[in-house]
Amino acid sequence: MKKLLAAAAIVALTGTAANAQQIRLGTEGAYAPWNFMNDAGEVDGFEIELGNTICERAGLDCVWVTNEWDSIIPNLMAGNYDAIMAGMSITEERMQSIDFSEDYYPPDPSVFLMAADASFDFDNLSGVRIGVQTSTIQAGYAEENFADGNTILSYETADQAVADLSAGNIDMVMLDPPYLQPIADGSGGALKIDGPAIPIGGGVGIGLRKADDDLETTFNATLDELKADGTLDALISKWFDTGPFYSEM
Amino acid sequence: MPDWLNALLGPGFADALAYITNGKHFAWYGAFRFTILAGIFGAALALVFGLMGAAAKNARFWPLRQLGNLYTSIVRGVPDVLFFLFFPLAFEQAVEAFLARSRCTAEAIAANPGVWPPCPDANWILGTWEYLALACVSLGIIYGAFAASVIHGAMRAVPQGQLEAARAFGMSRRQVMWRIHVRQMWIYALPGLSNVWLILVKATSLLSLLQIADIVMWADRLGTPNFLTQVGFLHGDWRWRYYFVLFVFYILVTFASERGFRALTRWAGRGMLSADR
Repeated sequence: MKKLLAAAAIVALTGTAANAQQIRLGTEGAYAPWNFMNDAGEVDGFEIELGNTICERAGLDCVWVTNEWDSIIPNLMAGNYDAIMAGMSITEERMQSIDFSEDYYPPDPSVFLMAADASFDFDNLSGVRIGVQTSTIQAGYAEENFADGNTILSYETADQAVADLSAGNIDMVMLDPPYLQPIADGSGGALKIDGPAIPIGGGVGIGLRKADDDLETTFNATLDELKADGTLDALISKWFDTGPFYSEM
Repeated sequence: MPDWLNALLGPGFADALAYITNGKHFAWYGAFRFTILAGIFGAALALVFGLMGAAAKNARFWPLRQLGNLYTSIVRGVPDVLFFLFFPLAFEQAVEAFLARSRCTAEAIAANPGVWPPCPDANWILGTWEYLALACVSLGIIYGAFAASVIHGAMRAVPQGQLEAARAFGMSRRQVMWRIHVRQMWIYALPGLSNVWLILVKATSLLSLLQIADIVMWADRLGTPNFLTQVGFLHGDWRWRYYFVLFVFYILVTFASERGFRALTRWAGRGMLSADR
């Protein structure tokens, strides 16, 4: 048994030594256009391009790791990767367990996606089936405000929530507009975005372990640079067409 | 593709062919190797654990016998999904705890209290292959417990007269064990083992629980509706199509296994008197 552990130790030692300077970036790979799997089977999207740009500017050697959304914060803390770029909004609740860089996508109010012929009275919503993705800011908001008299269904991925909406199993999906808008546009008139836009979340930032102050400083400095020279706005306009831009703030 | 073939099959066929041969689909096809490897090595380990477990249950030394019984009853009682999640995590943290003893200084541990691993140097990063190895061991431990019960039962099913006759011929204990007991045990164990194998094959669909991008995870990714041209081909909810391919795969594995076990039974029963051959 001792020998086995020693062997495992050597494997782990060489493993970490080789990757000493490598930064592992964690993402979900199922939240287009933020992060998704492209036709080549590789991670792609706004955050992938932004992350690669940041690493290039900061002279870091970065690799991408995919992890399910559900366990993305616990696995950051367990050290499976060093940073999260997965469309994660900066919230007080998350700040209790992890740190965030400054935002790389400005605060954007959450919206509702529903069938084109549906209409709801959002002031007294009742008997409605609302789909959200587990552990998102929208899930928290829906539980707090709509739980009374409505059914809230949590899905592991946002795609599954939308698939269930298309199948008619739920009445609406509440998520970020950059994710829902292209779906409404691409649905051929079957789905629409309607109802109030709800301002929650403090923009999207890079999630980091609390102890990694150096990495946070590096990311923030590079993000400042990318915001100032317009690179970040160019990426936002490339991947989201419209969007809140940093130059307009 | 030549023009005449294109004309014959229509443009839709070429598009469909291009779609199912893109990199994303190849990643899916490639993921079948994880499932197959997990099945083969999981089963091999299950047989080893099963033989050891059965030997322990048959042992004359009381504590060893209790150990064998404890292994089969505990592991068979715990839901396999739970054990599948528990074992790799426990093993990883045990290794990290061991590493922390030599690598973490007191200051490093004090710097980030309440986090695991105690210090970054003790972190053991697991990739797909490490997780796959842990998955195989988990499958081996779980289904080894079932195999141990099957083999234990089969050992007892060997007619006492055969063993007595062997002893009467002057065979030593070891000779009776290997030439008669284990040799004849297989014919009784194979039906049960084939059952264990098929349940193990079904459990290989749990690999995605360990962050392995296996066939189930890819089927999910490929089948979810896509509304974005940036992502690729636009389609609705196609998950059932991909799940259907998985059904067919698992059913084919089942058919192949049944044939394989029939051949094994013929082999194990050679030279033995039996009504059903």
